[in-house]
Amino acid sequence: MAKKKTSWIVWLRRLTQTGFFLLFCYLFLQTVYHPINKAGRGVTFFFNLDPLVALNSWLASHAFVGAMLLSLLTLAVTLICGRWFCGWVCPFGALHNFFTSLRSGRAKQKLEAGGYNQWQKAKYYGLVAFLVAALLGANVVGWLDPFSFFFRSLSTSIYPAINKGLVGLFTWIYNANPGVGPVRLTVVTEPIYGFLRKYFLAVEQPYYWGSMLIGVLFITTVVLNFFRARFWCRYVCPLGALLGVVGKNPLVRLKKNQEKCNSCRLCLVDCQGGATPDNPLEWKPSECFYCWNCESDCPAKAISFACELKLEKKHDEPLVQVDR
Amino acid sequence: MGKIDRRDFLTTGVLAGAGLGMGLLGSDSLRAVPAPSISIAHYKSSPTETDGIAEEARRLTRQAIEALGGMNRFVSKANIVWVKPDIGWDRRPEQAATTNPDVVATLVEMCYQAGAKKVLVSDNPCNPARLSFPRSGIQQAAEKAGAEVIFLDERKFRKMSINGKVLKEWEVYQDAVEADRLINVPIVKNHNLCLATMGMKNLMGVIGGPRNRLHQDLGGTLVDLAAFFKPRLVVLDAIRVLTANGPVGGNLADVKRKDTIVAGVDQVAVDALGATLLGYKPDSIGYIVQGNARGLGTINFNSLSPKQIEV
Amino acid sequence: MNPLYKWIGDFVHPPKEARLDLGRRAVLAAGLAGLGAKLLFGIDPQASKRSFNPALIRPPGALPEEEFLARCIRCGECMKVCPTNAIHPTSLEGGVEGVWTPILNMPVGYCDYECNLCSQVCPTHAIRQVDVPEKKKIKIGLAYIDKNRCLPWAYSKTCIVCEEQCPTPKKAIWFEEAEVLNIQGEKLTIKQPRVDPDLCIGCGICETKCPVKGQAAVRVTSVGETRNPENQILLSPGSFAEG
Repeated sequence: MAKKKTSWIVWLRRLTQTGFFLLFCYLFLQTVYHPINKAGRGVTFFFNLDPLVALNSWLASHAFVGAMLLSLLTLAVTLICGRWFCGWVCPFGALHNFFTSLRSGRAKQKLEAGGYNQWQKAKYYGLVAFLVAALLGANVVGWLDPFSFFFRSLSTSIYPAINKGLVGLFTWIYNANPGVGPVRLTVVTEPIYGFLRKYFLAVEQPYYWGSMLIGVLFITTVVLNFFRARFWCRYVCPLGALLGVVGKNPLVRLKKNQEKCNSCRLCLVDCQGGATPDNPLEWKPSECFYCWNCESDCPAKAISFACELKLEKKHDEPLVQVDR
Repeated sequence: MGKIDRRDFLTTGVLAGAGLGMGLLGSDSLRAVPAPSISIAHYKSSPTETDGIAEEARRLTRQAIEALGGMNRFVSKANIVWVKPDIGWDRRPEQAATTNPDVVATLVEMCYQAGAKKVLVSDNPCNPARLSFPRSGIQQAAEKAGAEVIFLDERKFRKMSINGKVLKEWEVYQDAVEADRLINVPIVKNHNLCLATMGMKNLMGVIGGPRNRLHQDLGGTLVDLAAFFKPRLVVLDAIRVLTANGPVGGNLADVKRKDTIVAGVDQVAVDALGATLLGYKPDSIGYIVQGNARGLGTINFNSLSPKQIEV
Repeated sequence: MNPLYKWIGDFVHPPKEARLDLGRRAVLAAGLAGLGAKLLFGIDPQASKRSFNPALIRPPGALPEEEFLARCIRCGECMKVCPTNAIHPTSLEGGVEGVWTPILNMPVGYCDYECNLCSQVCPTHAIRQVDVPEKKKIKIGLAYIDKNRCLPWAYSKTCIVCEEQCPTPKKAIWFEEAEVLNIQGEKLTIKQPRVDPDLCIGCGICETKCPVKGQAAVRVTSVGETRNPENQILLSPGSFAEG
């Protein structure tokens, strides 16, 4: 069977994921000193969207930062569209999505690595533990909150390491000054270095205690995507768990036309969340990222997503009017 | 050796008031009148508003340099000039911990007017450069005057032979040494170890390495550095001076208005004059005494017949 | 039945596919794990309010420790924004509960006098928003001179870099002019630095710039921090010179 053309929704999703990821990275780079004495505070936007941070901070300290009301927006949309946040917005999720897509291997191997796994419940237990601790005053969810984890890893480990590498490379070229006769490589590399210094590199090489552990943990979570698709998002993420709880009964649901389905199970191969889309009775809304891969991959066009509140004919119920 | 010859020559020339004078470190044309080697410009009033002080800074700087024969004496056509202000601390101009930005801007303008190809303004500060450069106002003022304000590139510090009495070699910023001219523009401040920090101490901002070790012998090390760099021109900003708790300051009560600019070619004489503005005797400052003893310049600035101007 | 009402009702009585199916016992176990963690955090000596880790120097504006830990989400924004690379993640200085919360690491960086960027970025206000004039009045610790390592005290060599760098308008480091003998038996007058505990805010620039490598001859510890009335040594609080 020829591979179906990727649906436009999938392309849109990839676009928004890339957009939010680049936005996060841009805001990360902007979190520096700006003259005179102004901090780039942009990345706090993501923390304000994060209901896990809002909930835990409120539970532990009984204080609420006004800007965190934005997280109610996230929760509201989650009620309707389940874990769309994980699929379309979360920049850490986008990172894991990217590395998951780098997996080589045949569809069969991906199936085995991508199907639902009982251990996916672990993140819910983790969430419960965090919430109980927070209720008792200990707010430690920041260890595993995806934005905290991502930003902390970038700021204390990954970015300093990349900075060291780039500066080292350009310093080596500058000192060794390779070239042929009057033509030197530095003619090309120095302008590039100037550009990087202005827009990307740190003003001064940063160093951080504990950067090794933080860096290794980060790299581990990324590498684990090669063993299980979107490992962090499925097994670890407490924000994912919270959104899974809130979004366990979404309005937008997966619909399967059983007559069209030929049980090829192609829908399972690229399922990001491990939500078992092949059987509509077993589809897990709390694991679904609404990535639309199943709908896009289905050669028989048997899968679709539809809003519950639309006018629908149900098998065992008479047609009803929707009260709007 | 050459230094002593030139100094003697100049002293003789000025005292004799005869013959053709020459710029101390070479000039483009012979002058009919001997050019002074040190000038003191003093402002008659002491304006309080920002615009007034800016105007004062511009006029004083211009007059002080004109009194020495104009910037053409120090900067030639197509020169690359390194202007070295004190941008060492994350402080505002009125706190007198950094050079007056309008003094710097005026010098930049004058360099370009004298035909300079490029004027670079920079410093190796004690507080982070990203903070001190804009807060001192120097970055904005210098850029507006057309200078290239540089944040130092770590790769360009090179070990160089200083061949001084104390320092044999030290890490120096390459581009500052390779520039055609170096103009030293410090601000006059109190300093608890050496009493006053002016031109020679300001040269610590063109070097790298473990500078915090130099304090073990400031008298010797600063003279070594001054002899190595030999700035073409030293311009002392004494519009505001820091009289106590320097060189960082912070308390506006420690800032006094002297409304003066001193310009000169003799590093020792200029610093000696500057010391008197703070009320210190030049022979109580180690690096001035040693500079004089080692022939870097003269502690007796009066012997150079400073040109005094009231603006 | 109206689909909207059905949907709302499904939250109360979820149909099979909407159930998370976590298992009551497992959820209880997770809850107990949370409780257990909280209890174990609570028996760290720092929670006793009698023992203070001298290395636990928090950024200026940080709330008192209990509230600080309840708000800090260990995001690392303060660590990224700090222009002097002074703020680092803890390992165990704040106890296990405080892992990866911000701490100042003076050998690497100091707290710039005119800066308040960390308090600007903190998303949960664990470092509360303080403007620069207020921040200058907050002590985060106190410097002490290690006379065994300090050049003027131990080796009769001139230095005073610490005093030179001290940013407070009236310097928090002053001098004793002492007459000492050098190895040749000659008398020298050396300026020996002393810290003024009233004025010192613990910014750490003295420690960062001290030329004595390895362990600086002047170091900052958390004692005297404004946010913790227990972690003090002075009988009465000092005054700050206006600047």
